Amino acid sequence: MLIPTSHILVVSAGLFALGLFGALTRRNAVGILMSIELILNSANLNLIAFSRSWGTQQADLQVAVLIVIGIAAAGAVAGLALILAISRHRQTIQADEIKELKG
Amino acid sequence: MEFAAKIGFYGVAAATLAGAWFTVSARNLFRAALGLALALFGVAGLFLYMEAEFLAAVQLLVYVGAILTLMIFGIMLTHRIADPNLKKWNRQSGRAGIVSAVIGVGLSAIFLKASWNQSGADFPPVPVPFLGRAILTTQLLAFELLSLLLLGALVGSLYIARKEKRC
Repeated sequence: MLIPTSHILVVSAGLFALGLFGALTRRNAVGILMSIELILNSANLNLIAFSRSWGTQQADLQVAVLIVIGIAAAGAVAGLALILAISRHRQTIQADEIKELKG
Repeated sequence: MEFAAKIGFYGVAAATLAGAWFTVSARNLFRAALGLALALFGVAGLFLYMEAEFLAAVQLLVYVGAILTLMIFGIMLTHRIADPNLKKWNRQSGRAGIVSAVIGVGLSAIFLKASWNQSGADFPPVPVPFLGRAILTTQLLAFELLSLLLLGALVGSLYIARKEKRC
């Protein structure tokens, strides 16, 4: 194999760490959503790397990646709808200014 | 030729990580979205390197074409994106940085140390017709559940984001 599997896994670990950092620290809710997309991408990268290095049931793993992409799309849609509703209601989307459950 | 391909791979990987860093660190959220675009393009390139061409195309269509456009709409519809008085990170940024750095470095060390049972034989890339057959036979339940989930997300997000009536 041209590229060793471990190097791809290291890239995906870096993506995961950056996404985790963003999801923990961004104040803007859209920023948190974008960081979560980064984490999902690192998971997809791992799945494809393993499907390349083992080779059994490659098609099943690639379908799993397709389904993860679809779930990420659904999550982004629902999250943005919530953010839009909150921004209309509270005039802010800074995540640490939204403290009340019942506003 | 092989050397050039390796250089290309590490270049794409570096661009991906740089885009991810822009995504989490840019103060202006619009620039963060552009960084996310770079990271998503990079991941599509890495898919190409692993000979998953169909997934690279899906990644570009769904992530860059749809999700990113949606994010940019969300950024523009909400308030105060480019306000320089706003801090970009909350108070926990130091601790969160330590935790995620430990996780990232630890995972990388484990990945580099472990022996990944590589048989050495290069597996042929899976042709796209196999993917279609897998979707409609062995993975049919997951596929149908995904379509149900997307329908639910469509209806639910329309309900959540509608204009509320004054009463």
